[in-house]
Order: sequence, then structure tokens, then C-alpha cells
Amino acid sequence: MEAVVIDAGSNLLKAGPAIPDQSPSMIIPTQMKRMVEDGSSADGSGFQDVTIDPVVRGFIKDWDAMEDLLHHVLYTGLGWEVGNEGQILFTDPLYTPKAVKEQLVQLLFETFNVSGFYASEQAVLSLYAVGRISGCTVDIGHGKIDVAPVLEGAVQHIASRRFEIGGFDLTKLLAQELSKSNPLVNLSFADAEKLKEQYSCCAEDEVAYERTQESYETEEHTLPDGQVIKIGRERYTVGEALFQPSILGLDTHGIVEQLVRTISTVSSENHRQLLENTVLCGGTTSLIGFEDRFQKEASLCSSSIRPSLVKPPEYMPENLTAYSAWVGGAILAKVVFPQNQHVTKADYDETGPSVVHRKCF
Amino acid sequence: MYGGDEVSAIVIDLGSHTCKAGYAGEDAPKAVFPSVVGSIDQMDVDEEAANNTEQSDSKGNNGDPNSNKGKGKRKLYVGSQSLGFRRDHMEVLSPFKDGVVADWDIVDSIWDHAFKECLLVDPKEHPMLLAEPSSNNQQQRERTTELMFEKYNVPALFLAKNAVLTSFATGRATSVVVDSGGGSITVAPVHDGYVLQKAVSSSPIGGEFLTDCLMKSLESKGIVIKPRYSFKRKEIQPGEFQTIDLDFPNTTESYKLYSQRVIAGDIKESVCRAPDTPYDERAYANIPMTSYELPDGQTIEIGADRFKIPDILFNPSLAQTIPGMENFAEVAPSVRGLPQMVMDSINRCDVDIRKELFGSILLAGGTASMQQLKERLEKDLLEESPQAARVKVLASGNATERRFSVWIGGSILASLGSFQQMWFSKSEYDEHGASYIQRKCP
Repeated sequence: MEAVVIDAGSNLLKAGPAIPDQSPSMIIPTQMKRMVEDGSSADGSGFQDVTIDPVVRGFIKDWDAMEDLLHHVLYTGLGWEVGNEGQILFTDPLYTPKAVKEQLVQLLFETFNVSGFYASEQAVLSLYAVGRISGCTVDIGHGKIDVAPVLEGAVQHIASRRFEIGGFDLTKLLAQELSKSNPLVNLSFADAEKLKEQYSCCAEDEVAYERTQESYETEEHTLPDGQVIKIGRERYTVGEALFQPSILGLDTHGIVEQLVRTISTVSSENHRQLLENTVLCGGTTSLIGFEDRFQKEASLCSSSIRPSLVKPPEYMPENLTAYSAWVGGAILAKVVFPQNQHVTKADYDETGPSVVHRKCF
Repeated sequence: MYGGDEVSAIVIDLGSHTCKAGYAGEDAPKAVFPSVVGSIDQMDVDEEAANNTEQSDSKGNNGDPNSNKGKGKRKLYVGSQSLGFRRDHMEVLSPFKDGVVADWDIVDSIWDHAFKECLLVDPKEHPMLLAEPSSNNQQQRERTTELMFEKYNVPALFLAKNAVLTSFATGRATSVVVDSGGGSITVAPVHDGYVLQKAVSSSPIGGEFLTDCLMKSLESKGIVIKPRYSFKRKEIQPGEFQTIDLDFPNTTESYKLYSQRVIAGDIKESVCRAPDTPYDERAYANIPMTSYELPDGQTIEIGADRFKIPDILFNPSLAQTIPGMENFAEVAPSVRGLPQMVMDSINRCDVDIRKELFGSILLAGGTASMQQLKERLEKDLLEESPQAARVKVLASGNATERRFSVWIGGSILASLGSFQQMWFSKSEYDEHGASYIQRKCP
């Protein structure tokens, strides 16, 4: 039976058997709704539902919800049978606290009774997916941005950076901007999310962005509930926010500048290798025009070695950037599990949850 | 008595240049960031805003007690990410003054950053091992203990001396530790795990001093180090680029200096080497130059400075020959070179252990990762030491290990089984008070 690879992000959970050159078989939203039956109301309108996010900014926060989610994914989605559980590979974001790793291992072995476990960092896996072991990953997800230099499969923790902004904040920005220009329209968060995916793009460079702020074409979009919303320059604002975070109200540098500064922290003999093998991954990088803008900004950056992006291999699925951590996990699973380098049930029973720190790195 | 359990300890080494923090049992700290903070004094910002809006009513400003009293109100920015971003009126402050902690608020914010933003741990659940300077006084220790227990509610604490931790990292109980850090160089002999206080000596010539010398030397040659925020590349025509200077009038001097020091420090680390023989102006006049590329694209050539700067460690009076560093003369007479400091230190110890000390001289600290430093020190010491003594200078081959050897020693110590009974627990603090630290952590 194939090992299962799970990449639990803040927005989407990607899961599937470890078949490396395919997209994950299950891509479901991580957000769940808890249905609370309100017994007192007699006319049946008493269903209150509360949305729950088990994964916040990349880290698992709500363990009960996570348990339910995994239950659905493993038994219903991937067809596992109770009593015949297989092996799991999980992906971790940067700076995952030790306690979270231990809790995850505990949950899997004790509640789900898996036979083998391995965890690996998303940055390394994204590099494996494009066929490299050294390089710099820029992972722009829904809840966070991770910039991590990796040398020979080892993440340089001292140099890596994590930012608590991501697709979620961009959606909020879009919703705010749209409600300013369309004061009568009632926009829900989910609608704003869809609008962002459909319409937003990046201007070619700063000068082009300034131009769009002054003169722009307006498109009209009909929301599912019938309201009509006008989208004009807001579509460029969202893409620009990654390169000029002052739009979001934060005082940090843009993404390319951060990448260059991160790499300058690593010892200079590795700079060339890291900059020339830069991998962009994460859902937000599939913004139209993002990669071209990134390349353009990279050529403006003040260093002799310019960041250059790695092209994914042809045998990989089309939208690799959104799922590269999962695909890398699938590649790794094919190596780790057959060679018995993972944490087995016996190891866990003998040592306890702390065995994950020794065996998985 | 605090018995260690599954939860691992946290090791923090707050040095004069960088702060290293991480979990015990690991081989490198997870969080390494500068131990200076950016501070924006809220009063400055308020004053400027008030001056801009209220030109006529000066009585309003003076009569209002709150705006003048808010002197202590300032916003601190910790960590390389926050410091790397230029902000108006942001001053760069260090918690240390002459090697001892002067501003505890800054130390507090540094620890807070390490726990909450870098390691993502809750201090209540982890015992803390803190590294302290080898000649720390009682008051500093008590203050540290109070801050840790009262504010962070740690379950247990231990204060270990830097020199002892370095010894541990190399597995020796007796050695002379030469800790060349950012702010100073401390030579401390350790015997059976205890620092011999009477023989500890320190000199203000540390990595930062060398960086300053390098900066002044480059300035005198006409090379201007532009901080990263002060320029931008623009594409004037397709394919043609130009570097444009940006001007930010509200940037403080201290921030500009800090940004320049970061770059100069990088130059020093990549280019400087300790010379094999004492530096001589004429001998090194025709040395081939090495090139280094500055962040703004300018390439500079460095020749004799490559060897002159590291030689200041061995011959401090060299610093006076650098234009701009003449005021060093006031401090100079009392400052001795590195080999003399080691000799002095060993000679102040008992005659019986001197032989053992000569045989294990350990190099630690950021400045110790300079190339050829170990060989040069060994050579100089061989000349000065008595005939019978066998001089051996040890330094771990890996540059990262030398830089973090104090932290690594702490990591080893905190994960030893036999150490678990030595923690100073919260209940003992509640019972005996902060002064008990002297007894528990000798």
C-alpha cells in the first residue's frame, strides 16, 4: 500500500497516496463548520454554524478539529480501513515548535494507529519537487510567507525568515478596497477570495502600477447572490502588496528585497548557488504576472548575482507551484519508507513522542 | 528540587553582539539575532507632530503633563527583520555599557522576542539555562534571576559562566578559554569546571572594535560604505541600470552607523586573515589586493588592511596608526595584546596547574573564526611561554561551532542527566529569594 502524504495548509489540505508525478488526489479546504443544533427552537431554524480553522498561519492550533479532519481525509477520502492503517508523511512549515511536532506524532500514533510516520519541512520538499537539493524557497501561502535557504537538504534556520502575511491578508485588502469603491455591495469573505483568484494580477513594475492607479478599466462581475460589483484598480493593488508591503500597512521590505537580505546572511560562498536556484511556491504565487514581476524586481536588486527562478521539470503536473510541498513529500516518501528511516510504531512505543526530533529532520 | 522531565530546556546566550537562543540537546541555536534594538522614542514623534500642527499655542505643550512625562515610553524593535527596515527617528541601542547590562528593558524585550517570535515557546514550560560573562557581579545575577522568575515565570533557572560552557563544549574540565566576542575579549582559566576569578582578564578590543577600525581605514582611503537603505537601482532604459541615492533626512546617526557596521562586519569576516608575523607597513605594502563587492554594486580592493586589522588583536597600538582612531591612545597604555593576556592569566594561577592550562587553550567567539588566528596565537605563545610547557591552542574546525561554542556548551550541559538536580527551581526562589542564586550557581 502506498504511503500517504498530507500537506495541511491554512487554506487547503492536500492529501493523496505518494505518487510523485501527479497532483494530490484530495484537495479540500481546511476550514470546517461546526454544526450546533439549537434544541430550543421549534421551527427548525436553530442551526448555528461556527467556522473553525484548525490550521492558523501554517501551524495546527485546534487539535480536536484536526482530528476530525484527518479522520475524514484518511478513512473516507483515501480509503483507509480501521485496523489496517498505513504510513503517513506530514509536512511542517518553518519554525514549527517542538511541542506541536510531538503532539502531532502522538495524535497519529495513538488515535489513528498508523504504522509509520515521517515529517519534513516544506522548504526542503518544494526543492525536491523541482529536482534540487540546494536553493532558496519562497513559499507564499494563505497564512504565511516562508523564505528559507536550503543547503544540501538542510534548512539554514539561522538565516530563514517567516512573515505572518499571506493570501488571507491579500483577500482582506481586496475586500476593503472593493467595499470602498462599491459601498452598497455586501461582500462576504468567501466571495472576495473567489474574486481575488479570478481577477487579481501584478503590474509589470512600479511605474506601471502608478499608471494603473490613475487610469484603469473597470469590469463588472455578478456575485452569486445577484449583486453586481465593479472591479478596477483594486486588482493591481493586491498583487502590488507583496512587493510593497506598505500597502498592507506593514513596515517591511518587499518580497524580493527580503530574499536578497536573507541570502546575504548565509556565508558568501553559497550565495550564487542559493540565488540561482530560487523556487517560488504556494498558492498565492499563481497570481497572474507574479513571476514576471518577480524576475523584473530581481534584476533591479542591488547585488551582482541576481535571483533567478528554477523551471519545474516537464514531467511534473501543470500547476506544480501550488502543490510543490506535497509533490516533494511524495518523492521523499518513496525514499524514506522503504528504507525504514521513518518512525515506526515500535519506536514510538519505546521512546514516546520525542522520538520525532531524533528521526525526522 | 526541579527534576528534568520530557520538556527540554532552553539555552540563551546574550552576547554583546548577537543573542543566541535555542533548545538544549540541539547542535546549533535556532534563533540568532543582533543584541541591539531599534527604539523610537514616542516623545520625539509626538513632539514633531505637535510642532507641526500647533504653531501658536506653546502654553498647550508645556502645560500638558502627559506629553512631557512620557520619557520612558518608547517602542522597541528587536530582531534582524525589524532592525533591517529603516524607520524615521529610530535609534539603535545596546543594553550593555562597558560589558555589563545597563538597560534591563532592552534585555527584557530581547528575551521576549526570542521566546515569542523566534522559538515560539511558552517560557512557563521550559527550564532556562542562561550564559553569563565570566566576571559577572552579584547584583546583575540577582536582577537576571528576578526578571526571569517574576516576569516569565520559568519553572527553573541556571546561570552558567561562558568560560565553563566553552570548556564543556570541548569536553575539558581544565582549560584557558579565550572568548573573543563582539564587545570584548575575555581570557578566563577554568579548573575542574570552576572559573578562577582572580586570573580573569578582559580587553575592550573585540570584533566591533576591529570593524570600526576597518571602517575608518576604508574611509581614509576614500571608500564610502553606503548603507543598504540609501540607494536603489532604477532601469532608465531597457537593459540599462543606474544606482540612485535615496535620501532619508529623518534617519538617525546611530542607525546609519549600525547599517554600515553590518556591511563592514561582513567585509571583515570574508576578507581578513591573521598574519603569520607581526604586521609591518613596508613588508605588506605590495601585497596583492582582494576584491569585495559592496551591496550597491561597487567593487573595492583591500590589500594591506586584510592583515593589519587582525593584527590589532596582537598589537593594540597599531590601531593608533589608523586615521580616525587616534583617540584610542587614552585607552591604549593599559591594553595588552592577546598573547600577553593569556600569559598574564596563566601566571596568576597556581604553579601546579599551569602546565595543564598551557596544554589546553581554547578559542571561542565570533572573532575566533578568523582564519589563521589559531596558528598565529600558538606561534606567539610558544615564543613567550617557559621552555618546559607544551603549548596547544585548540579550536574546533567548523567556523559555526567556534561562533556558538558557548551556546553549544550550554546545550550539552542542560541535556545531561546528572545536571537535572542542579536547577534553581521556582519553589526555591520563592522560599529563599534571589540572593540564593549565588549558592546554587557558583
